[in-house]
Amino acid sequence: MSDTGSDTAARRVAAEARDRVRFEEDALALSDQVFRVARHMVGSREEAEDLVQETYARAFRSWRTFQPGTNLRAWLLRILTNLNIDRGRKQQRTPETQPLEEGDYFLYNRLEEAAGDGGVGGEERVIERLSQDDIVNALAAVPHDFRDVIVLVDLGDFSYQDAAQILDIPIGTVMSRLHRGRRVLKRELAETALEAD
Amino acid sequence: MCDCDGCEQMMQPYLDKALTEAQRLEAEAHLDDCSYCRKRYRFEETLRVYVRQAAVEEPMPPELKERLAALRTPLI
Repeated sequence: MSDTGSDTAARRVAAEARDRVRFEEDALALSDQVFRVARHMVGSREEAEDLVQETYARAFRSWRTFQPGTNLRAWLLRILTNLNIDRGRKQQRTPETQPLEEGDYFLYNRLEEAAGDGGVGGEERVIERLSQDDIVNALAAVPHDFRDVIVLVDLGDFSYQDAAQILDIPIGTVMSRLHRGRRVLKRELAETALEAD
Repeated sequence: MCDCDGCEQMMQPYLDKALTEAQRLEAEAHLDDCSYCRKRYRFEETLRVYVRQAAVEEPMPPELKERLAALRTPLI
């Protein structure tokens, strides 16, 4: 190879190494957010840790397939979601067909009833008594297909579109699962809050 | 302007900022006018903050951070 040719090759290798280092740093900077999503997608903390580790191992191996300028957090979570499915998470019974009786105001109305004539804001005081564990447990009780969209949109701040790409489902499905998932969550919270009352 | 049922339907997409401009204005006009829905709106907003705060309080273990950093490609 000529000197010019080897210089060009060396520059290419150096540029690739720089890109890879930058990619790895950017990905690691997002690890808290990736862990937070994983923590609520799977049943236990240990499982979440394994899943995040596996996600990063795969991401670092296939960093070249990431398109710079696109959403890296969404790309990492797409890997995480696929790995979670590969790990044998069973497809859930078709949740879209489950009947859902309560409306969006259900939790408020139940708490208001329970608060009685406790005055304005009585229902807020009831919800304030819910502990962090109560809320985490209520979220865990939501079927995972619903919970995944709640975790991505409500906790991860992803748009409906990003959540659809991450989970590889149509945007209309994201919206309907979100709608139903939030209602299920409220039903779970109502049970806990009214038990505690 | 929508009625309370319509407002209830729009509540979650309103909080998600997913309504069209026309729908958003319609929902806001109803909320301005209806204390029943306004109380429920404020509650829904508070509830989201509660759920979010409760769910994000569990920090990532520092050992996991170290394990992830160790997965990086070594520089030759």
